[in-house]
Order: sequence, then C-alpha cells, then structure tokens
Amino acid sequence: MERSSARLRALAVLVALMFVALTTRLWFLQVLEGPAFRSSARENSVRFEYLEPLRGLVYDRNGVAIVENRTSLQVRVTRDELGPDAEHVVLRLAEVLEMDVADLARAIDTKQYFTFQAVPVAGFVDVDVALYIGEHAELFPGVDVQQASVRAYPFKALAAHSLGYVGLITEDDLDRADPRDYGPNDVIGRAGIETVYESSLRGVRGRQKFIVNADGETIRELARIEATPGDDLHLALDARWQRIAEQELGIGMGIARNLEDSKGEPLRATGGVVVILDPATGAIRSMASLPSYDPRWYVRGLTQDQANFLRNDDLAPAVSRATGISYTPGSTLKSVTALIADQALDDVDLQGSYPCVTSYVHGTDTVHPFRNWEPVSGRSISFADALRMSCDTFFYRFGSEFYQYYLDHQLSPNAQPLQAALRAWGFEAPTGIDLPAEATGLVPDAPWASEHPELFENGEWLPFGDILTMTGAGNIRVTPLQLAVAYGAIANGGRLCRPYLVERITDADGVLVKDPNARCSQRLPYPGEDLSYVRHALAEVVTGGTAACAFSGFPTSAVPVAGKTGTAERGSDRFQDTSWFAAMVGPVDEPDYVIVTMVEQGGFGAQVAAPITRAIIEGIEGLGETTRPGCSGQSTQDR
Amino acid sequence: MDLVAGRSFAQERRPIKHVDWVLLATTATLVIVGMFLLYSATNQTLRQDGLDPFQRVKRQIFVVVLGLVLVVVIAAFDYRFFKVYAGFFFAGSMILMAILLIPGVSSPTGAYIDIPGANLLQISPPEFLKIGVLVVAAAICSELRTAAPEPRDVVRILIVAGSSVTVLLVNVEIGSAIVIVAIAVGVLVVAGTRWRHLGALAVASIVLIALAFQLNVIEDYQLERISAFLDPENAAESVRYNLEQSLIAVGSGGVLGTGYLSGTQTNLDYVPEQHTDFIFTVAGEEFGFVGAMVVLALFALLLWRAIRIAYLSKDPFGTYVAAAIASMFAIQMFVNVGMVLGIMPITGIPLPFLSYGGSAMLTNFIAIGMLQSIHMRRFT
Repeated sequence: MERSSARLRALAVLVALMFVALTTRLWFLQVLEGPAFRSSARENSVRFEYLEPLRGLVYDRNGVAIVENRTSLQVRVTRDELGPDAEHVVLRLAEVLEMDVADLARAIDTKQYFTFQAVPVAGFVDVDVALYIGEHAELFPGVDVQQASVRAYPFKALAAHSLGYVGLITEDDLDRADPRDYGPNDVIGRAGIETVYESSLRGVRGRQKFIVNADGETIRELARIEATPGDDLHLALDARWQRIAEQELGIGMGIARNLEDSKGEPLRATGGVVVILDPATGAIRSMASLPSYDPRWYVRGLTQDQANFLRNDDLAPAVSRATGISYTPGSTLKSVTALIADQALDDVDLQGSYPCVTSYVHGTDTVHPFRNWEPVSGRSISFADALRMSCDTFFYRFGSEFYQYYLDHQLSPNAQPLQAALRAWGFEAPTGIDLPAEATGLVPDAPWASEHPELFENGEWLPFGDILTMTGAGNIRVTPLQLAVAYGAIANGGRLCRPYLVERITDADGVLVKDPNARCSQRLPYPGEDLSYVRHALAEVVTGGTAACAFSGFPTSAVPVAGKTGTAERGSDRFQDTSWFAAMVGPVDEPDYVIVTMVEQGGFGAQVAAPITRAIIEGIEGLGETTRPGCSGQSTQDR
Repeated sequence: MDLVAGRSFAQERRPIKHVDWVLLATTATLVIVGMFLLYSATNQTLRQDGLDPFQRVKRQIFVVVLGLVLVVVIAAFDYRFFKVYAGFFFAGSMILMAILLIPGVSSPTGAYIDIPGANLLQISPPEFLKIGVLVVAAAICSELRTAAPEPRDVVRILIVAGSSVTVLLVNVEIGSAIVIVAIAVGVLVVAGTRWRHLGALAVASIVLIALAFQLNVIEDYQLERISAFLDPENAAESVRYNLEQSLIAVGSGGVLGTGYLSGTQTNLDYVPEQHTDFIFTVAGEEFGFVGAMVVLALFALLLWRAIRIAYLSKDPFGTYVAAAIASMFAIQMFVNVGMVLGIMPITGIPLPFLSYGGSAMLTNFIAIGMLQSIHMRRFT
C-alpha cells in the first residue's frame, strides 16, 4: 500500500496538471481574447439586410409618366439552405420554372453572392408557379419567391436613347461603388438619363438590423431604417412630340429607301435623327434617333437576337445619332457662316450683294475650280437669295478671304477667325446636354491639317479648308444636337443654350430638389437685326427656296416655318449624301421651336429631311395631312 | 471491546456514520448547476418548436432522481459485492454491447438500446461497460500475490480493456474507448505497475493506434474531427464550425459572462450539440471566466474526494475502484472541457453530471454510489 499512496500522489499531480492546462486556456480565451470573441459573437447573430429603394420615376413635360416601376415575382435560391437533397431541388425547380437545368445551375453557382445569400435565378415568374413553390416548401428548401421592382415603360420603346436603360450592376461597378449603396442584386443606370441621373434616381437603401439564430431564422428586429425612394425626373421632353418625331422619321426613312440617288441606286437611309429644341431655354422637346432599341429588352435580359442586333456596328442602334455621332452639316451651316463672314470680314456686309457663279476659282488656281451644285446666272445676289437658293460659290468667295486672312496673319493669335467663330457657336465641343457619350465633332483648322497630311499636302492648311467649311462641306463635322443649339441661338437672338432633357427633379413627395440653372448664359456677338435677317431669309427658303417644294401647300401663314436644307457629301463613294433640314417653327422673330432633321445616306435635304420635318410640324401643330400640290416648277433635287 | 465515551468502536464505525458529505454536496451542486445550464441551452429551441421549454430539464430531473436512488442502493451495499461479481458485471455489459449490434434492437443511430414501452430511457451500453472494466481491473489488481502487478497481470487487464476498446471502436465509440483506456491505466498505475512496464505499454499503444489509422478502423468523420483539431485551417466546414462556435461562445463570455440566459451563442443555437457535449460553453459564455472556474473547482473538489477515498481505503480493491473512478471522471472532464476550449480533439465525451443524457448520468451516479460505499466502509 506504500506504493499505492505514492502512485495516488502521482495521479493527483496528473489531475492537477489537467486543471492547470484548462485554467490557462480559459484565461487566454476569456480574459485575454475575450473582447475579440465578443465581437465575433455579435457578428454571428446580428444581420443587416438592405431595404431596396424604389427607383425614381420619369415624367414628360406634361406630367405623363414615361418610366415607371412595376413588380416582378423573382425566384431566389439560397445555397446554404438547399439541404442534402440539393440536386433534386434544383431539378424540381428547373421543371416548374421551365428552365434548362444547366442554365439554372449556372445561375445558382455565382461568385457574386455568398452561399448564405439568396441568389435571384428567375424573374417574371407566373403567380401560379410562385404559389406552387410557396405551397410545397418542403420540396424546395432554400427557394423563395420575392417581389422585386423592375422598370416599366408605358410608351414602350419611346425615346429609348434619351431614357436609357437599367441593368444588373456589373462586378466592376460593384467594386467601385460604396458597399452601403449597392449590392450584387441591384440595378444601375447603364445609358441615357438613367445613368446620368443615377444618383438621383437610385434613392437611398434602408437598413434592417435583426437577430438571427444559427438556422438563419429571424428572432427579432433590432432596428429599421426605411429606404428613401429615388427622386423623380421631370423631362422637358414631350411624349406626344417624341412619338410624332419617331413615327415620321421612320416613315420618311422608309419613303427615302424608295428614292434613288444621283447614280440611280436606291437610298439606303441607314439612320436618322430629329431634334426638337426650345430656343428660349434649350429644353429638348424631342430627340429621336433611328435605328433604335427597346429598353424593355433589358428588363427581362437580352435574348441572343437582341444582343446581336445591339452589337451590330453597322446599324449601331445603341448609339444616339443625335449626340453620339457627328456628320458633315452641308448647307445647313450656311446660316451660321453667313453671320460669321459678315462679322469677321471687313469687306463683307450682310446687306451687300455678291456674285453667285457656276464655278469659283480661288486666286489663279484654275486647275481646281469650286463648282456650284447647279448652273447659275453668275450675277450678284443678296445673302438672303444665296441662302434661299443655297448658292455655294457665293460662300466660297468668303472662304477664300478667310484663307487669305490666315496667310496674312499666320503668326497672330487669331489666325483663323472662321474656326474661332465656329467654336464660339458651340461646334467641336460637347453641348453639355445631360446625356452620356457626347461626340464633339470637328472644326478643321491649321493644326488639324498638320496632323492630316493625307488630306492637306505637307500638312499645310490649304484654301479648300476654309472654302469648303463656309458651305458646311469638307471635313467639318457637327452633331445634329450642336446644329440645333446653333439654330436655337439664331432663333433666340444670339444666346447659346446648354440643351437639357431634365427640367427639374422632385423627391417622392413632389418637393423640388433641383431647379435648372441658367442655361442660355452664353451670348454670341451678333446684332439682333443680323440674326433677324437670317431668320427672314430662311423663311423664304420654305416659301420660295430650296424647301419650297417640300413645303408646298403648307400653311406657312398660320404656322411660319423658316429653315435651311443641307445635302452633305461624305467624302467617300461608299456613302450616299447626308440629308439635312434645320428649321425654326413659329413667328419668324420669336420662333417656338427649332427642329433639326438628319437622314444618314438620305440624299438631298429637300427631298428627304425637309418632308419629314414638314410631317412632324403638321403632327405637332395638329394640322393633319396638309395638301401637297405638285411643284414641277421647282427642282426636287434642291439642296 | 473498546469503549469510547460510552459508545462502542463498532458503533462509531458504522458505515452510515461515514457518509462523505462533501462528495455528496459537490455532486448535488454540479447536478443543480447542470440543470441551469441545460435550461439555458435548450429553452429557446424548445420554445421555437412549440414545446415545453422545461422538457429536457424535466427529463434530466427524472434521470437524476433515478440516479440518487442508485446512489443510495449502491452505498447501502458493501462495495466488495462488486469484487465478487466483477466478472458478471463485465460480462453483462459486454452482452449489452453485443445487443447493440443486433439490427432492430438498437436505435437508428446505433448507439442506444431502445427499451420497448419506455421511450424515456434509452440504454447506452458503452457507459455501463466503463463500470464493468473498472471493477474487473480493480478486482484483478487487488488479488495479486506480488507487491506489484507482474506482466501476466498486466496482460489480463489488457485483455479486459483491449476487448472493450475493440468492441467500442467497432461501434464507433471512440470517446468511451478513451475513457476505458484511462480507467485501465489509472488502475495499473495505482496498483504499482513498474514504470518500465507502463512505458512498454505506452509504446505498444502508439503502435496500435498507428495501425488502427492505417487499417481504417477509425471512421472518416472521426478522423476529420481529429485532423480538424490538428490542422484547423484545412478542416471540413462543419467540424471547424463546431470548434469555432464553441470558442466564440466561451471567449465572448469574458471575465464575468454575458449573464444567465443572455448568451447570444447559447440562446440562438449557434453551438451544435450544446446541451450534450458542449454544455460547458453555456457556463463559459453566460458566467464567464469566473463561472467556468467555479465549475472546474467543483470538479477539482469531486476528484480530490475520489482520490482521498482511494487513499483512505484500507482495502486495495476499494483503493483501485476509487482511483479508477477518479481516472474516469478526470479524463472525461479534461477531454470534454479541453475539446470545448480547442485544446483536445472533438471525440464525443460528455461532461460528467452536466451533459444531458441518461445512461452517462446513471453511470456517474453508480460511480458516486461506489465511492460512498468505499468511504463508508473504509474501517471494515
């Protein structure tokens, strides 16, 4: 028993060591590391969930909602809750959703969500299907049906380029965004005003804080901050005008395709634009661009056909041709260059008369004459007649003078007053409209020539640069919107406006959040009577000039229209001419709106763009189809 | 006959006069603490399921009452009764183990024998096997002709313990197997087995364990648990989850705990198996370091009493039985609490008197009854 006593002591020591080990470990866990574990415990059980805000709505100028929200029943899958029978659950779900199993599996197996988060796998589920899933919860562990808010477009594809669309946030956007603002299931504006006004439309996410047990069941709510709905946008756009513009543009382009170009080939009319702008404010009343797309496609996700259509670079349906592509303006620019010539050239006066010849020769360079588009008498005519008949050689003379000025003043800071003046009119710069991806266009000048020796020998500025620019030909490029803004300045007495789609922003309670700033603050240096002269000259274009045939029978006395046709060569045989008509509608000295119509590969301005403009004005003014007596006296190929 | 103050020595040494009240009080305190912890661990879940939140506590009280009856009955008998029938006890518990293997008799998990008509109590044979091995080993060592167990005695004990461990491993009861080993080692050590024999035994065991791993005797999930302990970074999700949640629960208790019924880990059911193997996390979370130390102190008291009884017993059998019981309680406490604290692998050993469970609790009470019996009869 002696030995037993010793051995019992050994056992006691061993047991004591056990207590030492456990106590040490407890001290470490609870006293030293306690605070860290305490926060882990808190994270464990307290969950945050974001409450999604309703996206702001979009109204037209008359308060008609053109972008709304509606609910979609969305099926979501939480991977952690699928249970041991996950494969069968997915198979069953694919069956009731009538989805391909592989597609469904791919949708579920996403890296954008943690496995304890619900992954949306199908939207726009039928109520019957949603009910079936709800009633057979035991067959669908980890599957739930939620109401999600999606965009709705009561006017269908109307004004697609202006409105833009929303889409599921991309991983890149998500990485950039503040995690408090966006989650992986959120939509974000991806084009048009949806993207420009994202921060207003989005609203603020609410937060719900609650305690969950180990199974993820909510035990009780701790705190709740409701989501703040997004602000509503009130557009300057008039839905009715927009619809008329889109319809008439489409019809006009269709008619154009039945016409032939000078070579006898049918016009392709590959694209078209109508911009209607309030010259007093710069408000965009309508902006149509064809071909277009339907923002509703994005609500359900693009089909393969839709995606292919949108990706087609030849059609470029996703690009707004009003703002995103620049074109040679042709004779429509003469209204502007006439004013510039009068102002910048000492010996040129708007009241004077200058020859309109069949062939203009710069200096003594008889090898390269500049021909008028049709034979003319060669006598001196007024600016008004030059605009009315769209005489090119009349303007070429002033181009020569600008070139001469450049030769004489190459080293002065204002070596190229024509280009400087054109830039003052807003060309070669974004208009600042509230849309993304604006093209700036081009005003060719000496530095530009030096970069393009393929056009300008040795990269030197040559006479044709100024001469062609005077008639809107050559290398100058403008967007239809820039041209509309320029005509707006002619119409409003010389103020250059920043065009805009969104008139004002209100919160969900209708309280004004944001008012427009001064939008026509930039004054152009032209006397009012000169601008008035040009407007009256343009009125004659419609009554007795290049657009007379297009407007024959139109009640100009009731609805005065002043406008300028344009037919722009694109410098390549591959493309047919660009057809333009830029007009002001309403009293000649205080026009109500400016309307610029452009048809890509549409041939003569008088033949395609002007009739479309007429039809739009008729629609807007409620004139119905006015009679169109024949106009055999006039050439239908007027520029 | 010696007379002491008018009473006979025999009178003075009557067993009833020598109840170990400290041991009883310690056991009672542990059991009561266990009830509180059990309520905290289970009430929320039961309430959620629309059941009586006291359901499990009530069952445990029933088991405890049954256990107290066992303590009284066993303490009333002379513990040497166990020595006489040691072989029968061992054989009986082995038969119970064999019954486990008969399909249909055991519960679906295979760990319990369902008693027809009494679904309140399931019998877990491995628990009773502990007592069987304990008494046989003590009996063998108490009948030695030599001062210390000779190799052949060691082998006899090894046969008893080894066969039990084998049967347990076949039944995937690695926790009970560890306890059996601890009991056998405890008896061998206290019986005075030479250190070099014990050393040889240790080497042999290590070889056997290595073989067991090699021959896939150990189930995958057990391997997983053990490897999770050794290599937590690469452990399977569910096993790591157990450990993590357990550590968070204990750690978040801090010095003073979150307060009774206020532990989020406990109340929100984050710790799996919390009312059984992980009951210590409740004490750790809700009563903090102080509470955990109180529980450990109660175990220290219990073990001190057990070792003291082994020391006091004049009879070698009593000494060895008490020492084996001390080993049994010590290893269970150490492995269980160590597992909860992340310093021992997850093996499924319950914490004596605190973990929810019928057979284990009854076995503990049988052990207490035996300790009492030894203490009460230490003079005879």
